Amino acid sequence: MEDAPAQAGSSNGHRHTAMPAAEFHAASEKILAAVSQVIDGKAEAAKLALTVLLAQGHLLVEDVPGVGKTMLAKTLARSIDCGVSRIQFTPDLLPSDVTGVSIYNQSSRQFEFRKGAVFANIVIGDEINRASAKTQSALLECMEEHQVTVDGQSYKLAEPFMVVATQNPIEMEGTYPLPEAQRDRFMARISMGYPDQASEIEMLETHQAVSPLAKVTPVVTAADVAAMITAVQQVYVSQAVKEYTVAIGHATRDSARLRLGASPRSLLQLLRAAKATAALDGRDFVLPDDVVAVAEPVLAHRIILERKAAGAGDTPQSVIRAILASLPVSKDAAADTRRA
Amino acid sequence: MSAQRGGAAMSAQRSGAARSSLAAPSNPARPPKGSAGAYPWAMAGSIAVGVIGASLSLNGVLRGWAWLSPVAVTVVVVVLAMALLRTLRAPAALVPLGGFAALAFILCGTFLRKESIAGFIPGPASVKQAFVLFDRAGETVYAESAPVAPNTGIVLLSCLCLGLVVILIDSLAVPLALPATSGLGLLAVLVVPATIKPQGAGLAGFMVAAAGFILILGCAQRFAPDDRLQSGAGLGRGQFRRSVVLGGAALAVGLVLPLAVPGFDQGTFPVGSRLNPWGPSNGLNPMITLGNSLRTPTGDGRITYATSSSAPVYLRSVTIDRFDGESWAPDDRDSSRRLGTGQIVPSYRLPENLVRVQTVIDTGQFTSPYLPVPYSPAAVNGLNGRWSWDPLTLSIMGEDATSRNQHYTVISVFPQITAAALSQAGTTSPGSGELAGEFTEVPGNLPEIVRNTAGTLTAGIQNNFAKALAIQRYLRSAEFTYSLQAPVQGGYDGNGLSVLADFLQQKSGYCVHFASAMAVMARVSGIPSRIAVGYAPGHPTGNSIAVGGREPLTEFAVDARDAHAWPELYFEGLGWVPFEPTPSRGSVPDYAADAVTPGGSGSNLDEDAIPIPNQTAQPNSRALPGAPLPGTGTGAGTGIPHSLLILAGALFAVALLASPRLLRAGIRARRLRGFREAGQASAAVSPALAWEELQDLARDYGHIPRASQTPRHFAIGLRESLPSATADDAGMRAVRELTADFERHRYGRPADGTPGAGGQLTAERLAAVRTMLRSGGSWLVRLRADWFPPSLLSRWFRTVSAPFRWLGRGVARAGRWAWNVVRKAVRRLRRGN
Repeated sequence: MEDAPAQAGSSNGHRHTAMPAAEFHAASEKILAAVSQVIDGKAEAAKLALTVLLAQGHLLVEDVPGVGKTMLAKTLARSIDCGVSRIQFTPDLLPSDVTGVSIYNQSSRQFEFRKGAVFANIVIGDEINRASAKTQSALLECMEEHQVTVDGQSYKLAEPFMVVATQNPIEMEGTYPLPEAQRDRFMARISMGYPDQASEIEMLETHQAVSPLAKVTPVVTAADVAAMITAVQQVYVSQAVKEYTVAIGHATRDSARLRLGASPRSLLQLLRAAKATAALDGRDFVLPDDVVAVAEPVLAHRIILERKAAGAGDTPQSVIRAILASLPVSKDAAADTRRA
Repeated sequence: MSAQRGGAAMSAQRSGAARSSLAAPSNPARPPKGSAGAYPWAMAGSIAVGVIGASLSLNGVLRGWAWLSPVAVTVVVVVLAMALLRTLRAPAALVPLGGFAALAFILCGTFLRKESIAGFIPGPASVKQAFVLFDRAGETVYAESAPVAPNTGIVLLSCLCLGLVVILIDSLAVPLALPATSGLGLLAVLVVPATIKPQGAGLAGFMVAAAGFILILGCAQRFAPDDRLQSGAGLGRGQFRRSVVLGGAALAVGLVLPLAVPGFDQGTFPVGSRLNPWGPSNGLNPMITLGNSLRTPTGDGRITYATSSSAPVYLRSVTIDRFDGESWAPDDRDSSRRLGTGQIVPSYRLPENLVRVQTVIDTGQFTSPYLPVPYSPAAVNGLNGRWSWDPLTLSIMGEDATSRNQHYTVISVFPQITAAALSQAGTTSPGSGELAGEFTEVPGNLPEIVRNTAGTLTAGIQNNFAKALAIQRYLRSAEFTYSLQAPVQGGYDGNGLSVLADFLQQKSGYCVHFASAMAVMARVSGIPSRIAVGYAPGHPTGNSIAVGGREPLTEFAVDARDAHAWPELYFEGLGWVPFEPTPSRGSVPDYAADAVTPGGSGSNLDEDAIPIPNQTAQPNSRALPGAPLPGTGTGAGTGIPHSLLILAGALFAVALLASPRLLRAGIRARRLRGFREAGQASAAVSPALAWEELQDLARDYGHIPRASQTPRHFAIGLRESLPSATADDAGMRAVRELTADFERHRYGRPADGTPGAGGQLTAERLAAVRTMLRSGGSWLVRLRADWFPPSLLSRWFRTVSAPFRWLGRGVARAGRWAWNVVRKAVRRLRRGN
């Protein structure tokens, strides 16, 4: 467990001006290029991770051990010149290890607050489902509130702030699965998946001698990222896209194959992620395509299948794909064609 | 694709960001949202104005104005019901259904209150009664000619038709967004008086209907639900100029074309040869139909009769005695009519020496409210139905029957009239007690020529009979020719005053003109007169009929070609005395045949055999080219040649076949027409319209866009379904550009809502896409896209099938509900067990 560097809080409470589009594009290209140096053949996952960062969300990376979950998180963190801390979650990890603790200073005869690992711009929570529920929830509260409260005193967390948690599938031994309410706090969940043959061969070659991570140098600053986030916030969302997003939410709630549909919070995060996607695509307005692109990673980990559907071989991903394939993009599409 | 767009999008994003801080996002092309609430009501008002206005022209088809208030109430109730449903945001398919329901309620409440449930809900009894009323209306329409009496059936029928027209117009204007075609509904109403009334639809009705139509268009424009109708641009100067030029050109063509086309108002489409939409209704009432009857080459409405009279017998149907200045009209003294034809006694005195004549008549298919009988009838036996007669004119009219398929025996009394008796008959002063003044009424606006001619003819003559003979002699003189064509070619086929003046100038016409000329001149000279309409003596059929055990009588037959009109003049002590001023027609009575007249034919029945030069006109008239097909009725479209009909049919078929293509082209043109905004040089096309056109284009060539496809997915799908097209293809490039434009328009900042690419550019892009699609499709696909574009056909199908889909959904819902009920019941039963 590393301690948080001091520069983390530098951008606290300060609103950044939006980054101009051209710079935005260049910066995002640089970050993605840096990540792809290390993670071969996983451009989609890298882009999604960046999307979540720009949308001020948190990312849950779920997959079997050894496919590069932690590597992705680390590379992303390393490519940005900002505070990074990594927490390896274990069953005996305490909440105070995450948030920090007040210690009595003998010399000053006062309690002073020793910041926990969460005081960083990017917090990598490794194998989050190995920690006890209590510790998990301590982290999750920080994620939601962007602050830590210890002994009645609140401490603001750094901006930008992003938690990249990795977890092994719940079937693995010695894990405490995240409850639904806590999974809902993560903007998106991605699976790394195995690399394809060519990427794997290349990985074997390049990763032999030195860790590729060492080659990664920061390409943007934390302030740059904050400016990028501001730019994302200014992306325009039309009424039609809002209606489409809400329609997706309703469709998951009305679906006979789902026991639990998408929450309003998830729709909010869906739209935020879509805004970031739009900005990464060089647009200042959201298309339904942006919503579609992030719908699966944003929604799949929040919805719960009916038992029958699970038995029939459905997965949350397949249900969402089916919903998107049948949902009209514009409510008045039918009316449009009729009127003409 | 995204890399390509990158540069353009970036700059747009930058400018968009700059603009968004300056101006509040608003789209000037869209009307304010709040005003949409007034749309249904404004449209309802416009439709009501239009339809009620158009119905005003029905005056003249229907007698009087009593029918107007139920019609207006029906129209208003239906439009209000539909507007209310629309305000309540009922589904689009439900609104016309609501209109139908409102129509049914108001019709039941107005006409079938007793038979309906709760006074307004239609039930089996009200449907039955409605059909009874419809039958009655049908009989009226069939038997009477315009204007018909507005009985309950006729008014119910009118209200129903106009209510349906309202629903049609509303459906066209609002859900189908084809406000311009809603004029068809109004036209349908105006066509009725235009084809039936001799003077056409009438200016007032037409003007109000046109005003309503303009209101409908205005409403659709003002409250257009989107920029499809380009409401914002409607006020532009260019738009105004264009509409003025277009309107002016249309008006000029409308005025000039009839003059330029030979035979537009003469011969081929004469004013008088209006269609009789009800087939063989040879009611003989108006003299208009008489002209048509005479021009019929086939004899319809054949009547056979056998008479014991030795003199030729005129069958008399109706008396035309009302001359209101405009035209002659049949009497309508309904109050004084008496029921029962067993004994018919005129209210005026007949001479003592009468000859009784028995006539057996079989009317066959001849249909008229009036019964043809030889004058003057004393008794009619063997009739079906109730009949009444007018003591003043002795016309016999069916109360609940028509002359169709009647076989009856008439006892007529023929006064033995001689020239000497007529000469001695006193001069009846107009307005004397025996006769009402109406028989000597002469309108004040009588043309000079009529008065002068009458004055010249009767100058110095005191005796009424001598005056009458002078007039008859003049009309039968060589100066006048009998012609069925002349008046038609002159543009008149009526009996109005102006026609009369024309006739006296041209000295050519047929019985209607001769008879009305003599009747009017007689009135001018102080002799009470009227016109009798019926049949001139016909031709022997060669059969004999035995009547009442006496020796067999020769059977005669008359048909439409023998239709005739003749004047009757009143002589005191002798009653109404017929004259025959029409040369070559009928037979001049003995008492009137004193003078040497070129056309005088004595009592010869076979007028065709008489060698008169004027006669030539008649065979010609019978061989008129292009009379209607046999059996279509005497009045039906006389004068339209076969070849023209075939041509029209072929044109119609071609138009029908070409209509999808034409409509598709029209839709494309409308979308690409673009709109000019202030300060902009070229017309821009809304990206939404360009996008719609792109989607329809793809649909035409078999690439059907799905509702769940985003614009980008659609574009990608299009490329994938065209393996021959590469990404660098001009067509693919155009698709990308159109997609990008549409995405920006639909999902971008409103301030960025650029009016779109110029019409030229958009058209070029779409043409490139079309070329690409054409090269990718088989010849069958190309043929279908050209002539039966699926985009249009599917739209039609959707529109037509909307009620069925709605019904299907309802049935499915009911089925689910029933299934749930059953399932619950079964569960409960199981639990109980």
